[in-house]
Amino acid sequence: MAHPQAIEVLVRRVARQVGVRRAEHWGLRGAFWGALLAAAVLAFKAVLGLAALVLAPALVLLGALAGAAYGLARRVAPRDAARLADRAFGLADRVATALEWADHPDRTPLVDALVADTVARVLALEPRQIVRRVIPLEGRWLPAPLLAGLVLALAPAIHLPTGTILDFTPSAEQEQHEDRASTEMTAERSRPLPRDPLKRPSFEERDFAQRTGTGSGSTAGDLSAIFKDTALSNQRPDFNSFLKKGDERLRLLEQVDRLPDLQSDFTTTQYKMVFRKSKSLMSGLSPDISPQKLRELLDEMERLGRKGGNWSSDASEGMDALEGGQTDRALEAMQRALDKMRAMEEAGRSGKSLRGGRENERGARGRERARGGEGVGPEDQDFGEGEGLLPGKGRSTMPKGDPTARVRGNPYDVGVEGESRRGRKDGYDTNLTGRAGSMPSRLMYLGVVGQYRKMMEDAITREQVPRDYHDQIRNYFQALDER
Amino acid sequence: MSQDARVETFVTAFEALRAEVEKVIVGHREIITHVLTSMFAGGHVLLEGVPGLGKTLLIKTLAEGLELSFSRVQFTPDLMPADIIGTNIIVEDGDGRKHFQFQQGPIFAHILLSDEINRATPKTQSALLEGMQEGAVTVGGVSRPLPAPFFVLATQNPIEMEGTYPLPEAQLDRFLFKLRVRYPAIDELNAIIDRTTRSQQVTVSRVMSGPTVLSFRELIREVPIASHVRDFASTIVMATHPSWASSPEVTRRFVRYGASPRGAQALVLGGKVRALAEGRYNVSVEDIKALATPALRHRVILNFEGEAEGVDADTLVGQVVEAAEAITASGKEVFLR
Repeated sequence: MAHPQAIEVLVRRVARQVGVRRAEHWGLRGAFWGALLAAAVLAFKAVLGLAALVLAPALVLLGALAGAAYGLARRVAPRDAARLADRAFGLADRVATALEWADHPDRTPLVDALVADTVARVLALEPRQIVRRVIPLEGRWLPAPLLAGLVLALAPAIHLPTGTILDFTPSAEQEQHEDRASTEMTAERSRPLPRDPLKRPSFEERDFAQRTGTGSGSTAGDLSAIFKDTALSNQRPDFNSFLKKGDERLRLLEQVDRLPDLQSDFTTTQYKMVFRKSKSLMSGLSPDISPQKLRELLDEMERLGRKGGNWSSDASEGMDALEGGQTDRALEAMQRALDKMRAMEEAGRSGKSLRGGRENERGARGRERARGGEGVGPEDQDFGEGEGLLPGKGRSTMPKGDPTARVRGNPYDVGVEGESRRGRKDGYDTNLTGRAGSMPSRLMYLGVVGQYRKMMEDAITREQVPRDYHDQIRNYFQALDER
Repeated sequence: MSQDARVETFVTAFEALRAEVEKVIVGHREIITHVLTSMFAGGHVLLEGVPGLGKTLLIKTLAEGLELSFSRVQFTPDLMPADIIGTNIIVEDGDGRKHFQFQQGPIFAHILLSDEINRATPKTQSALLEGMQEGAVTVGGVSRPLPAPFFVLATQNPIEMEGTYPLPEAQLDRFLFKLRVRYPAIDELNAIIDRTTRSQQVTVSRVMSGPTVLSFRELIREVPIASHVRDFASTIVMATHPSWASSPEVTRRFVRYGASPRGAQALVLGGKVRALAEGRYNVSVEDIKALATPALRHRVILNFEGEAEGVDADTLVGQVVEAAEAITASGKEVFLR
């Protein structure tokens, strides 16, 4: 068997080259950081004196030497060196394989041939540098700190500022001035409220007599007069007028049961809080719901339920299910508890929520209808919000809706024909053919369009529609409205 | 005989056999090399290509160049396993007594050409499974060894898929290489016309015997492989698995199942044959890279997205090899930093 000494020599040679390149690489990095330190030292030349001029180059040299020493000290694995040699000399992994298999216990007869072949090829090689130089980023930037250091060394010393610490204790004069300022600030705070935009102009007219010119207290050059000399500064609410006119708000005060409950903030109710938490629990990116968070939520719901709710049992059931590892059941129980919370909150509001006037009127009509009261004409038999006119929105459980009272029998046994009138109108008169031919119908066009328009605006607000389509959709509805 | 001489003999025999095949087959040098590589590695080959490209002719010519028995089975939908393996038939001896005698099927040959293998039913295709892997078939509870060397060369047509039964993964995995026969270039086409339209026919000489092939197979297994080359082959195979932590993005996105350990065996064994055929005593990284596509293209099962996107298995394997190169190079090659 040929002795693989030549292979080992080649590997050692390559390893040495790698070591040198590493020393260069790390030396440059060390020199860079040393140069940075040196520049900092030279910046304090005035303090350090001549020592800075000696210390600065020493730091650069020390950094370079330390880096080079570190690079040389790092071990180069013979296998890596062999692979490098294989690639550099185009030996098709012969060196690495021969080196690995030369002393392998499962050596086959072919390995001897391999080693001999490799040795012959290695001996035929001409020694050359095969490890490329790798310049680190610090090496590319090395001239910058070196140049800065040189400039700092040649430039005159920078004298550092030697100021004393400012005296922040207030003097007697300043205290007096502050007193005056604070008085002005107090006066400023006691200024009357700005004009109420809801106040009728007549109020202001009646208040003219009470206005007095101000500014007598101001002197030339007193900028605070700008704030004092305003009409608002002396304006006061005209309570007399308020009482005489019998404001609508007074009448509103008499109807206590219809007053909106402004003291309660419905956005921060227990239900809202718990609902928000449950939503955040189930809307995470991960499909797995954290049992720990679910337990905390159920625990909180149970605590709230004990204070006067009827959902404690559901929350307890959910916690039991969670203990048993049944997350689905726990979620169902949480949903039931949430429903109960919402129902209780709805009941607690008892119609004191902030509803619009039309809604209130409709509600009143509805209540009257429920009592079986007279005087509710066909015009008043209007559907509620989102009911009746839209498919699937009515009270009927049938997906295609119930036939209207006027068209008895098969709802499809009618045909609609007609010609729309020119110009904008609330509805379209249609002539029916077939069995309902003698019964004209009126389609509440604007009502339908209005509802769809509202749905469209909701959809856009909830960002269910791509932004690029917003204008297009609005234009479409605008065109419908203009018919 | 010295090791150098053994290797020299192999190289000469390899070149001679390739030259004999190339007397008939124009072009397709890479295909011929891969077929020979597979034969010496002890594996089987699946040739895929449109009709008329010389797949069957290549195999027949190879069989003519070897002193080995040759069988050809044309796979059809009504072909039954017994038509391939053989069956017990009742025979009457001289005394008038009847007994069962096993009638060998065409599988009992050194070289079996399974023409248009995907036209037979999966049941019939599976009849080859045991023979391809174990070198034996079991009939009536009796295991019968196949002649050695046993070498299956199958062909399939990738375009006429109606009425065909695509090979199952288990069957595909038993082929060492899957080779795609491309359409010849214009100069090759001219050469084909010249050769096949003349009056004089080309005769192929027998240059290798069965025992020689077996001895070469033993020699091939002696070829050493460095650990980093073996690691590279393993990394390539692992990189075809979407569940592997370091697998590339292309694998995670398009692959359902990666290559089996047979894929790694194919890479290393094929690499050994390739190295020896080039007169080299060791497997190199280049050998593994050169054989990655034929060894792995049929072992990578694409997922729905891969099928829908029309991802080419060859391109995917190429990207996997690049990724494996980057993985194995990290921490080893960049030791200067």
